[in-house]
Amino acid sequence: MAYLTQPDYVKYICSCGQLKPITSLYFCRHCLKIRCGFCICHEVDSHYCANCLENMPSSEARLKKNRCSSCFDCPSCFHTLSTRATMAQPRQTPQDPAGGDTKVESKQPKKMYYLSCFNCRWTSRDVGIPDQPVASGGWPERTNPFAARVNQLLDYYKAIALQEKQEKIERERKKFTIRGKYITLTDKTGLTGAMARNIAGLPSSDSSCSAIANFVPSQASAEVEELPEDYYTKEVNLNQITSMPQRLASPEWQPVSVSRLHPLAKLLSVKRSQRCRVCDHNLTKPEYNPGSIKFKIELLAYYHVPEVKIISHEPVKAGEKTALLLKLTNPTGHEMQIKLLQPEDLPPPEEKEEPKSIEKSLEKSLNLEKDTSSYKAIEREPQYSVTSRVTSPPTALTLAQRDDAAEYDDDAQHDTTE
Amino acid sequence: MSHNIKILPGATVCEDCTLEGDITIGGGTVIHPRVTIIAEGGPIIIAEYCIIEEYSTIIHKKSDQQENPPKPLFIGAHNVFEVGCKLESPCGHIGESNVFECRSYVGVDVKIGSGCVVGAACHLTAPQTLVDNTVIWGSEHHIREALEKQPSQLLQLDFLSKVMPNYHRLRKPNVHKRQSSTRQSQEPSPKP
Repeated sequence: MAYLTQPDYVKYICSCGQLKPITSLYFCRHCLKIRCGFCICHEVDSHYCANCLENMPSSEARLKKNRCSSCFDCPSCFHTLSTRATMAQPRQTPQDPAGGDTKVESKQPKKMYYLSCFNCRWTSRDVGIPDQPVASGGWPERTNPFAARVNQLLDYYKAIALQEKQEKIERERKKFTIRGKYITLTDKTGLTGAMARNIAGLPSSDSSCSAIANFVPSQASAEVEELPEDYYTKEVNLNQITSMPQRLASPEWQPVSVSRLHPLAKLLSVKRSQRCRVCDHNLTKPEYNPGSIKFKIELLAYYHVPEVKIISHEPVKAGEKTALLLKLTNPTGHEMQIKLLQPEDLPPPEEKEEPKSIEKSLEKSLNLEKDTSSYKAIEREPQYSVTSRVTSPPTALTLAQRDDAAEYDDDAQHDTTE
Repeated sequence: MSHNIKILPGATVCEDCTLEGDITIGGGTVIHPRVTIIAEGGPIIIAEYCIIEEYSTIIHKKSDQQENPPKPLFIGAHNVFEVGCKLESPCGHIGESNVFECRSYVGVDVKIGSGCVVGAACHLTAPQTLVDNTVIWGSEHHIREALEKQPSQLLQLDFLSKVMPNYHRLRKPNVHKRQSSTRQSQEPSPKP
C-alpha cells in the first residue's frame, strides 16, 4: 500500500506533467494515460450533509445556500454540534426570555434541548439562545442585516444577465456585422462588472427592466462612527474577542465578541464524479447513497500502474556509486514488461493541437458558453531537478501478474496438504 | 505506605489502583481501576462526587520550599479526571466542577479555579492561573471562557457506583465521619 501518513517518496509523472504520489492518480482505461486531479473534469453528483447523511437535490441545496437545515457547526471551533437534553428546571424559567409560557404549560419537568460542542464545550446557552422543546430544528434563525440589499443586488445582476443574453441573441442574428469596435466586443461578452454597470447607467438602454432602473449604487462615505471613548484605555480581554476564522465563518454578521457567536448551519458536502477530459469517460463515479463510500467506477492508478517502492538506499556521495533497491509490484492480472529509462529518454508529450488561425481562436474566445478549451487536457513536460544519475539495468524486466492466492496464509495450506 | 488512606462512606474506590501517602477520598467519589494517586509532598484530599477514570495520575509533588507541616492538595467536588490524564500539583487547591479530559497534563505551578476544562491532550506546563470557567482545547491550546460551570456528572456517578461493584473489587470505606456524609444532602439528580 502506498504511504498514507508518511511523505511521498516515489512520485509518478502524470500526463499533464505533474509529479504526484500514486494515491492521488487515476488511470484512464480508454486513453491508457495516467491522469491526476488537475487534468480531469470534476462534476458534482449530489449534495449531502456529512453529519445527518441527508441527500439534497442541487436546486434545494442552492436555495438553502449549501447548508444543512438540521445540523450545526460550533461557531467557536467548527466541530459539529450535538444536541443535548436536559430537564427544564422551574428555577430557570423566570430568567428565560421565552420562559413565560413554558412555565404555564409544564408543571412537571419537561425535556429541553440545547446545542453543545464536545470539543470546546461551547453551548447554545453561552450566547443566550433559549433551549428548544424539540430535539431537531426550531433553532432561531438570524436574518442577515443586509438581506434586502443582497436581494436587490441579486435581482439587479440577474436582470443584467438576462439583458446581455437578449443582446447576444440579437447580435447572433446580425452575424457579426458590426464587429471590430472595442465597445461592442466587451459588452457582448459582458466581461467586466464595471462595464455592465455602465450599460445599466445609460438611460437610453431600451431593454432595461425595472430592476436595473430602480437600482441605486452604493455610496462611499467618509463619515465613520467614532471610536468609543475608552477604546485605547480599556483592557483587552482576548477571551471575549472572536478570532479571524470565527468571524469569517459567518460572513453575514462577523461577530466581534464571543457573546454574539451563533451556531453555523453545517455546510453540505458533495459527491463528485471525475471524468477524463480527452475521452469523456468516467474515471470515478461514487455510489449515490451518501452513507456509502464505495465507487461504481474507480479507475485508480493504484489498480493499473506498477507500484514502485524504495526498499533501501545508501547515502549518495559525489562521484561514487551507491546501491538503490527498488520494489516493483504489478497490480494487474496480466504479465507486464518494464523497462527503466533515464529521464531524458522519456517520450515527449504528443502535440496533437493543430495551429489555428487567430481569427478562429478569437471567435472561440468570444463564444464563452460553447468554449471547450477549458476542458481540454494539456500535456506538458514534467519539471524536476536531478542531482544524481541512476544506472539502470539495460534489459526489460518482466513482472508476473498479481497472485491473489499470495495473500492467503501459506502455512495453513501446508498443514492441510501434509 | 498505604495505611493513611481514608475512604469516606459512599465512595467507590477500586482495589486495583495505586494509592500512596496520606489520601482522603470523599463520599460519592468514584475511582476507577488503574488509577495512581501519590501524595509524596503532602496529603491529598479529594472532595465529594469526583470521577477519576482509568490510568489517570494525581501526584502531590515534593517541592523544595515546602512548608512544615505540608500543605494538603485539595481537590474540590464534582471534578472529572478522564482516562490517562495527569495532574502534578503542589499548589494547594483545585476548585470544583473541573474536567481534565483524556491524556491532558497539568504540570506544577498551575492554579486551577472552578469550572475549568483542560481539553484532550492539552499540556499545561508553564506557571499560570486558570480563572473560573476557562476552557482550553485543541492542539493549539485555544482558550475560551464558558458562561457557566460544566454540568455535573451526577447521573454518571449514580451509574458508576451501581455498576462498579459488580465487576471490580472495591476498597471498603474506613472512616465514618458523620459531618461530611450527613451534611451533604444529596441533590435531586435529574432523571431522564
